[in-house]
Amino acid sequence: MRIFQKTNFNFIRYRKIAYGFSIMLLLAGMVSLVVKGLNYGIDFRGGSEVVIRFDKNIDVGQIRSVLDAAGVSGTLKQYGMDRSFLFSTVFQGDSGQLKSLVSNALNDRIKGNHHEIVRIDAVGPSIASDLKWSAVKALFASLFAILLYVGFRFEIKFATAGVIAIFHDILTVLGLFSILGGIFTFMPLEMDQSIIAAFLTIAGYSITDTVVVYDRIRERIRGQKPSEYERIFNESMNQTLSRTIITSGTVLLSVFVLFIFAGPAIRGFAFAVFTGIMIGTYSSIFVAAPLVYDWLRLTKSAVHLRGSKIS
Amino acid sequence: MKNKRLNLLLIAVVTFVAAWSLWPTWRDYSLSKQLNSFGSAQDSLKYALSHREDIEDARKKSLKLGLDLKGGMHLVMEVDQVDLFEQKAWNKDAKFAAIMQAVRAKSTQTDARVIDLLVAEFKNENIRLSRYFYDIRNSDQEIVGKLEKESDEALSRAKEIIRNRIDQYGVAEPVITTQGSRKIIIELPGVSDENRVRNLLKGTAKLEFRLLREPEMMVRTLDRINTYLVDNGAAAHGATVPDSSAAVHAPLPQSGSTPTQPDSKSASTKPLYDVIGVFQNGTAYTSEHTKEFVSALLHRSDIQALLPPDTELLLAAKPDVGKTGEKLYSIYLVKKAPELTGGVITEAKATFGSQGVQPEVLMSMNSEGTSKWARITGANIGKRIAIVLDGAVYSAPVVQSKIPNGNSVINGIESLEEAKDLEIVLKAGALPAPVRITEERSVGPSLGADYIRAGMQSLAWAFCAVSIFMLVYYKKAGIAADIALVLNILIVLSVLAGFNASLSLPGIAGIVLTIGMAVDANVLIYERIREELAEGKSVVSAVTQGYDRAFSSILDSHVTTLSAAFLLYTYGIGPIQGFAVTLMIGTSASLFTAIVVTREIFHLLLAKNLMSDKSFG
Repeated sequence: MRIFQKTNFNFIRYRKIAYGFSIMLLLAGMVSLVVKGLNYGIDFRGGSEVVIRFDKNIDVGQIRSVLDAAGVSGTLKQYGMDRSFLFSTVFQGDSGQLKSLVSNALNDRIKGNHHEIVRIDAVGPSIASDLKWSAVKALFASLFAILLYVGFRFEIKFATAGVIAIFHDILTVLGLFSILGGIFTFMPLEMDQSIIAAFLTIAGYSITDTVVVYDRIRERIRGQKPSEYERIFNESMNQTLSRTIITSGTVLLSVFVLFIFAGPAIRGFAFAVFTGIMIGTYSSIFVAAPLVYDWLRLTKSAVHLRGSKIS
Repeated sequence: MKNKRLNLLLIAVVTFVAAWSLWPTWRDYSLSKQLNSFGSAQDSLKYALSHREDIEDARKKSLKLGLDLKGGMHLVMEVDQVDLFEQKAWNKDAKFAAIMQAVRAKSTQTDARVIDLLVAEFKNENIRLSRYFYDIRNSDQEIVGKLEKESDEALSRAKEIIRNRIDQYGVAEPVITTQGSRKIIIELPGVSDENRVRNLLKGTAKLEFRLLREPEMMVRTLDRINTYLVDNGAAAHGATVPDSSAAVHAPLPQSGSTPTQPDSKSASTKPLYDVIGVFQNGTAYTSEHTKEFVSALLHRSDIQALLPPDTELLLAAKPDVGKTGEKLYSIYLVKKAPELTGGVITEAKATFGSQGVQPEVLMSMNSEGTSKWARITGANIGKRIAIVLDGAVYSAPVVQSKIPNGNSVINGIESLEEAKDLEIVLKAGALPAPVRITEERSVGPSLGADYIRAGMQSLAWAFCAVSIFMLVYYKKAGIAADIALVLNILIVLSVLAGFNASLSLPGIAGIVLTIGMAVDANVLIYERIREELAEGKSVVSAVTQGYDRAFSSILDSHVTTLSAAFLLYTYGIGPIQGFAVTLMIGTSASLFTAIVVTREIFHLLLAKNLMSDKSFG
């Protein structure tokens, strides 16, 4: 079976449209980040979360009013699975206290429908800021490592364009999180530790497709005149198009399975990785390689690529 | 040819090791299935006894499940370094207190090291560290070095003590690690009584025997505080006296010497006695409602300045029940310097007291403590000595006679369970500095079972989807990729089992993601082979060229994914690390499975003439 057989798209000619599209996407995300901001999970803002599961179906409003009456303020949402609810609050004291407070209120006011507190998480504010910093550090360290590695394997222009593409992917996903945050009840899209894991996964994987394209360009560009670059770039991208799509496709397939089956705790992560990989595939064709092309064109220099023989 | 045989051998060894490492997991699973299949509990017990070694061995070596899958508690505790440094300082004055206050405030907001904050604050005030720490001749740098060493030691000692407490309490397979300069991470699988564990862990267990001052002195002190509060206006300090008319009014039947007719509006004339009552015999107390307020009041530095030198006002740990059923907490004026501390305690035992109803903890001391205790009790016959644990007075018995054998008793304990917990913390020893719980995650076993089900479903579906896709898209070559994929998953699981790491829900997510990424190498190779075939090369040379030429981009993509996963592992904590670990193992394993294994399969097939140019779809 073959999906893309002998394609002949002129990617380079239409690159400006792609740049425009990417800039629009990024701008929309930025605007939303400034205006609406992000929906932080307790990992990053501190606070407590309680997951309560009932034996029988129950209305969210009923639980909410019971908790309100008991004086525990916070937000209550349906939580992924059946008859389960996520109650999140800024409460930062003893989580045992919170548990008994919630449990007693529900036992007293809701008769004949047994509940169980299946999970309770409490994160203090200092941990929250710790986590935020480690996340930022990890992300930049990985971008730097990729820059160095690709720079070492190819050339610094290729590496820079690749890292810009990763930035583009992560910022777009971040923007999407801001835009879509809180809209869907089945996936609140909160920023938490797992989303950081998603970003690093995207960073590590997004460059994969880019490297495949680069590799082909490197193979073909040797000894060619700069005037031939446009043709070589286009042909390289077309030749690798099928494998770029399929490698991403298999990963998308398994991430989609995660999104569907792995439950609410993983859903935000799966969403982030899914969109990140889709955008990463797009950006390796429409952002990374075209940027290198433009850079080479503007500096008018022939490339000196590492990676000696054609192998 | 020689190289080829080596590869085959390698594959055989890897497969064998993976299977061998996963065998106990399978055994564990089938044994517990067997145990559950018996009709009666008797049969099942009989089977368990006869196969005991087998079962235990399998369980010990099997793949562990993470806290989120098994249910349990994950705690992050922080050692209070500010307190530790305060302990190490001498010559403490108001200036020092102010500086430490500022350091404390900052330390709760940032994750910067406390020692750095301290140095910065001292530099700000233009004071040398040696004014308060160690020797006056020490340079700042030397002192920082010493304090750093102190805090490192404190952290590892705290970890050991917490481990002791948990071991005594009895949790199967606890994991206790330190992180950074002040954090202790504690994982307790299968813990059900979270409250008790929390109480067991968070106390410092600093035991002190302190002499009580004379009742008259306390009455005078309280009067002085009251006058001070009147002069300065209690509200001026941002403190509001809680509405105490109900709280204190009732239980004052025999109070005489001091005016104790509180009137909620009269806070300006006797603010202290609105919240504190004093009996005729000179003992003072506060009620449950006002306890928090009084405790905060007693901690204020301006109030502490009013106390007689070298004394401190402490509250009782447990309330006495007043005549009307009101809970009353006694207040004690004790000497600041303890006569004896818990370091001398060698043995502690929870038991019931002489009347057989009140639980208490019996303690015995080492020889040094015994002789000191004999001297102290001998010199203070007729006086009261308070037994203070973590700043709260448990009891303050009157010394009847000299105690020569080093025995002492803590009473005033509510339940035997609490006495047992006290026994544990006393035996384990005191923490070098207070700790507090900054993060807590607990998962109930039923949610854990849900997570396992969800994780297994994701694994199964992802495997089916990806492997069927490979078969459809690449035909015969897809079979090789699928075999490699199975081996890859086996390797990930066996490495986890072999290194005693545990599998968590994020870990399963990592495996699912690995399934999608592992076949990427095959896709790159097969696409290349297709290209070579299209150029009219023979199958044999197309396969060789395909593997050779695709290798560079496969290596690059694996290196980038691995480095990102490694950084995630380094900077991430807890659940995220589980994800990073499986992703790292899976990605590395796929370099082997997707390249070496599939290539060997093709060699075998080619040798038997089972491959044609149609075999790659």
